[in-house]
Amino acid sequence: MRPGSTLWLLAHEMRLGWRGVLARRGENRRSGWVALISVALVTLLAGVPLGLMMRRIEITVTPTGIVLADVVLAVIFSLMLSQTVAAAADVLYDRGDLDLLFSSPISPRKVLTVRFAAIALNLFLVFSAFLGPFLVPIALIAHPPWLAAFGVLAVIAVAATACGLVLAMAMFAAIGPRRTRTIAQVLSALIGAGFFLVTQARTLFGHAAGSVWSDLMAAAPAIPLPPAAALPLKALMGDPGALAILLAAAVAMFACVNVWLGGRFAADSAAAGGAEASAVKARTRPVAFTGGAFAATVRKELRLMARDAALMSQVMLRVLYLLPLAFVLLRNAGARETLALPGGAAALTFVAGQVAASLSWITVSAEDAPDLIACAPTPVSTFRQAKLAAAFMPVAILLTPILAVLTMLSPGVGLAATAGCVATALANGLINIWYQRPAKRAEFRRRRGSSWFSTLAELLVGAAIATATGLAAAGQPWAVIPALVAGVLLLAIRRTDAQIAQALRAAAR
Amino acid sequence: MTDALVIKGLNKTFRAPAVDDLNLTVRSGELYALLGPNGAGKTTTLRMVAGLLKPDSGVIEIFGVDALADPTAAKRLLAWAPDEPMLYDRLTPLEYLEFVAGLWGVEAQTARDRSEELLRMLGLWEERGRRCEGFSRGMKQKTALAGALIHDPKLLILDEPLTGLDAGAARQVKDLLSARTRAGATVILTTHILEVAERMADRIGIIQHGRLLTEGRLEDLRAQAGDGAATLEDLFLDLTGQDQATPA
Repeated sequence: MRPGSTLWLLAHEMRLGWRGVLARRGENRRSGWVALISVALVTLLAGVPLGLMMRRIEITVTPTGIVLADVVLAVIFSLMLSQTVAAAADVLYDRGDLDLLFSSPISPRKVLTVRFAAIALNLFLVFSAFLGPFLVPIALIAHPPWLAAFGVLAVIAVAATACGLVLAMAMFAAIGPRRTRTIAQVLSALIGAGFFLVTQARTLFGHAAGSVWSDLMAAAPAIPLPPAAALPLKALMGDPGALAILLAAAVAMFACVNVWLGGRFAADSAAAGGAEASAVKARTRPVAFTGGAFAATVRKELRLMARDAALMSQVMLRVLYLLPLAFVLLRNAGARETLALPGGAAALTFVAGQVAASLSWITVSAEDAPDLIACAPTPVSTFRQAKLAAAFMPVAILLTPILAVLTMLSPGVGLAATAGCVATALANGLINIWYQRPAKRAEFRRRRGSSWFSTLAELLVGAAIATATGLAAAGQPWAVIPALVAGVLLLAIRRTDAQIAQALRAAAR
Repeated sequence: MTDALVIKGLNKTFRAPAVDDLNLTVRSGELYALLGPNGAGKTTTLRMVAGLLKPDSGVIEIFGVDALADPTAAKRLLAWAPDEPMLYDRLTPLEYLEFVAGLWGVEAQTARDRSEELLRMLGLWEERGRRCEGFSRGMKQKTALAGALIHDPKLLILDEPLTGLDAGAARQVKDLLSARTRAGATVILTTHILEVAERMADRIGIIQHGRLLTEGRLEDLRAQAGDGAATLEDLFLDLTGQDQATPA
């Protein structure tokens, strides 16, 4: 490969990416094994039975099949687009080696091509890893030509990357460099949740039976379809001509976007580099200077949370899942549909716990000035309490009206849900204190989640408390059993202050 | 008068001894420069004094308070400013000072007045509403210094406070430190800029391999070396064995 060529640069990106994967695997070898075992289990328990079942089913190109394939691929496209919008904005901001590349004789367009090819490749690999355990057994057992589905995934990844780039750069031009990053994060959360909200539309608007899917399938034969609408289904079924047409269209789209926007990329990226420094308007809001270490820490954490676009988009995603749930719960409570209430209360408890877990993970573990905290004459317990209080405040603000209305409509269910939400938030907060992983806030965009152990613990404890809430809401005395399970789990994984300190020292070595 | 800092028989070993039976006394109201080559144990010593690192053995007293037995009482008396500013990128300088004042429990009106005074003195008042993420290295360093001074510490410990500062900012910091010592505070600083120690310090200590090689006023060090005209750089290089001639 000629040094400086597109392929050479792509190989460089892939080498860096691969070394990043190896480094992460080195940090947390167990999570790699957990992922591998999960893939194997899904393949065996879901993929293989699905393949055996599909052996007897012959798919033909019918209007219903065409609509189904187009809709599924549109959903995958929207999920991929939600990733690329944020990733495209990140490319503009994550300086990394961009200054080095732009100061070299390599053209900005080439840098853009390689960076976005890397995004498309990453998307393709992630979605292949999720869909592979289903697609591979189906193809191997039932329909070998269906392996072409991976080609269709590649087509969608390339197209979504091109669209994500156009969206990010349009936002850059319209709202400026700084807001682009924030809006891109929020937009990616909204697009990601869009599909879920659409599927919930019928439930939200009061149609309990049926689904959006069944409506769509029933209407499909009557939808007038252009000839091109059949291409995705044909490509999925292994038609090389259809796949070639789609691939050519996606690559042409990607190339056009590169040619069209490549020249602007370097200029926008340079502007984004200075944006961190210059675009925040100086606004002298009054500050309180009151309340001691606890209040000062709470104020600091709330400010930092509110100013963290990436964090807010993650939280917003979970809130978007929570709101329809709360809406349905309140509607059922208002309609005295008591059978549906316990499940809703349990789900609300679980999701509330997850939001509290995300926020407490950030407030407890993300700390830019640990030495400042350590040399302050304040007990560490005060900081922990303040950080948890800051994490719980947004959750409380979100849930209080929902729980208040629920308690008015159905007092038993409302009280059970309130107790469940408080318990699961506290439990997840404690887990995040016991298994904290202090790091600078900026690093949390890369590390995102907490350790697999604390994530698993939060899920198990949250599920146990949610089950207890559901049973309590149904008036079942058995509620005490999952509540006890949650308590025992918490006692089993509890860490004393000395153990936390020891774990932190070991991690720092 | 009680000494500001008394260190006796201090030891800390990581893979090798970083601080080795160190004995050091800093008098109240003086500016003490702790010098040493890279890896000499300066930062480790100061981190132990600030309560950020637990010594293996030894005694640390801050204005008579045993810092190991009662760290909270000791921490109330001191401020620590490391070479890398401890800041929050997404807070403004004023919000940062509000947070630090809260940590040390400074009364609201006092904190408000002192924040304005410090930010004005360090030339940051006009920037008080901007987030620190866009600040230059020097502005960040000055904001962190304002944070260290917000609770009016009796003992101020500064690790390389002038690194990365331009001439104007360095002058502001030096003036501020001189003002603090005139007002009765004690300042301990480490620096590789020997002219700063030579011009500002009341006393100088030179540390190597975790041990104090020598300490005293510049004249005392010259007298020990038997060269009344020697610069601090000559003395330092001579004492630490780094005075090999460079090839022509």
